[in-house]
Amino acid sequence: MTTPLRWQASVDRLSFRIMQTLLRVTNLSHSFGNHPVLSEVNLSLERGEVLGLLGPNGAGKTTCLRLMSGLLTPNYGQIEIQGINLAKHPLRAKRHLGYLPERPPLLPELRVDEYLRFCARLHRLPRRRITIAIDDAKQRCGLEDSGKRLISALSKGFRQRLGIAQAILHQPRLLILDEPTEGLDPVQMRALRGLIRELARDSGIILASHLLPEVQAVCDRVVILHQGRICFNDYLNDDKPIYGWRVQLGTGSTLLKLTALPCITGAVAIGEDRYRVLLEDGTDSAQLAQQIMNAGLHLRELIPERTDLERAFFDLIGVEEGR
Amino acid sequence: MIGVFAGREIRSGLVTPLPWILFGTGQLVLAWIFLQVIERFSGLDAAARQVSLTQELTLNLFGFAAVITMLTAPILAMRMFSSEFRDGSFDLIAAAPVRFGSVVIGKFIGLMLLILPLCLLPAINALMLIGSAELDLWQIAAATLGLCLATLLFAAIGLYASSLTAQPGAAVLIAFAILLIFSIIGRAEILTIKTLSLFGWLSWNEHLFWFLLGTVRMSDLAYFLLFTLFFLLLTQRRLVNRRL
Repeated sequence: MTTPLRWQASVDRLSFRIMQTLLRVTNLSHSFGNHPVLSEVNLSLERGEVLGLLGPNGAGKTTCLRLMSGLLTPNYGQIEIQGINLAKHPLRAKRHLGYLPERPPLLPELRVDEYLRFCARLHRLPRRRITIAIDDAKQRCGLEDSGKRLISALSKGFRQRLGIAQAILHQPRLLILDEPTEGLDPVQMRALRGLIRELARDSGIILASHLLPEVQAVCDRVVILHQGRICFNDYLNDDKPIYGWRVQLGTGSTLLKLTALPCITGAVAIGEDRYRVLLEDGTDSAQLAQQIMNAGLHLRELIPERTDLERAFFDLIGVEEGR
Repeated sequence: MIGVFAGREIRSGLVTPLPWILFGTGQLVLAWIFLQVIERFSGLDAAARQVSLTQELTLNLFGFAAVITMLTAPILAMRMFSSEFRDGSFDLIAAAPVRFGSVVIGKFIGLMLLILPLCLLPAINALMLIGSAELDLWQIAAATLGLCLATLLFAAIGLYASSLTAQPGAAVLIAFAILLIFSIIGRAEILTIKTLSLFGWLSWNEHLFWFLLGTVRMSDLAYFLLFTLFFLLLTQRRLVNRRL
């Protein structure tokens, strides 16, 4: 009797895992002609997770997202959304998908409400739910007063918001956002960050961006693509990043003179007249600059220390950080 | 889902000036031809009239209307796929849970409904003579049916050309090239044995001619419907292959 029970328990655990894994990408490879764009990409996304996809231009980020959203068919590999094979059952799999491409897919001749209504019907929302869904998406994206506006007359930021609204309209389980903060002002960027965290409660989100701080602020996990391969796939720790400063002083400076400044808690030399310093809590770069000048040290350069993610990014893609 | 696409295309088409300009210009040209036919016909003696007024109207008015719809269909069709590829708005459809077959049929219906008024214009012009001249209404109906069927083919070719490129201008030129081949291919018959009329059969104007004479033949119906279906299937395959 114990064996079937144990077997049943394993099946239950497995089903639970499958239910929780929203996206599973296995050995994904794609090439355009003879030019390989992606090679053996493997990744998965769990419910409640926000995954940041990073990489330099041409790394294959957009191709990867287009493959995951069914716009392209991979040469090799498999994509499953909610356990449904995207290649074999595209219609069933795409029901769980919300996608914002790099350029928002808008129809300029329509008004905002007309466009969202069309999107709702594309995603097969029941008629009785369409109005509620449109109002909710508009409210979440700050478009409450723009329903009657012609899309061709919208500013870049509003177009981007509308692109996000169409992606979240049908409350998809998997949300793929390609450069979602493009064209948004800082207030909207912050609001979008909150919205992404809110949406991630019930769904999984993949976000491609060039903005490392943005990714660091909103993502649980980061995947770095370089030359079509995943070269980094790890969770971001919750520790606050260390914000140190890099200082270059005039010739003849010493570490001793620098550490004597009251606002500095620690400093290390990283080259000739170049130092990495940590500041006392409550002090800022202006005070540091002032104190360096007062001490008679010539300040030539003062730049913020890169965060962990930035350093990992540049180390992995093999670009020298600079001096 | 087909209705969603058809409705969207009609809505988008009507809020742009293009259909209205084409419709207005088409009516101006047709009115001019209509007046010319009437003037020429009324200037002839009863003995000099070799064909009926209805025949004069169908051959000239409906024949020229076919040329107008042939020029119009690719222009209206170019924004259906080509402009969407260029603007990136096709990604919205490609990422949605819809079949490409529904997209093609929906857009085709939308396109046809936008051109349909142009197909009805010659009949409306001709019917204005009811009461003042003797007209063969069945011949006008046959000619209208032939014009609509020819327009189906033009729209399908325009839609296919639109799916080939992200440059709307290039899509129009491709459609015109295909339509030109289908228009003049009948002339190639003189290069072949007279009894082998394959090239003549491929030419759309040969088939439309019988409708304009008032004869509805199954072979002509089959020609227009089969070639329309053929180009719609090519369009669907083209959309599927774009994902590769």
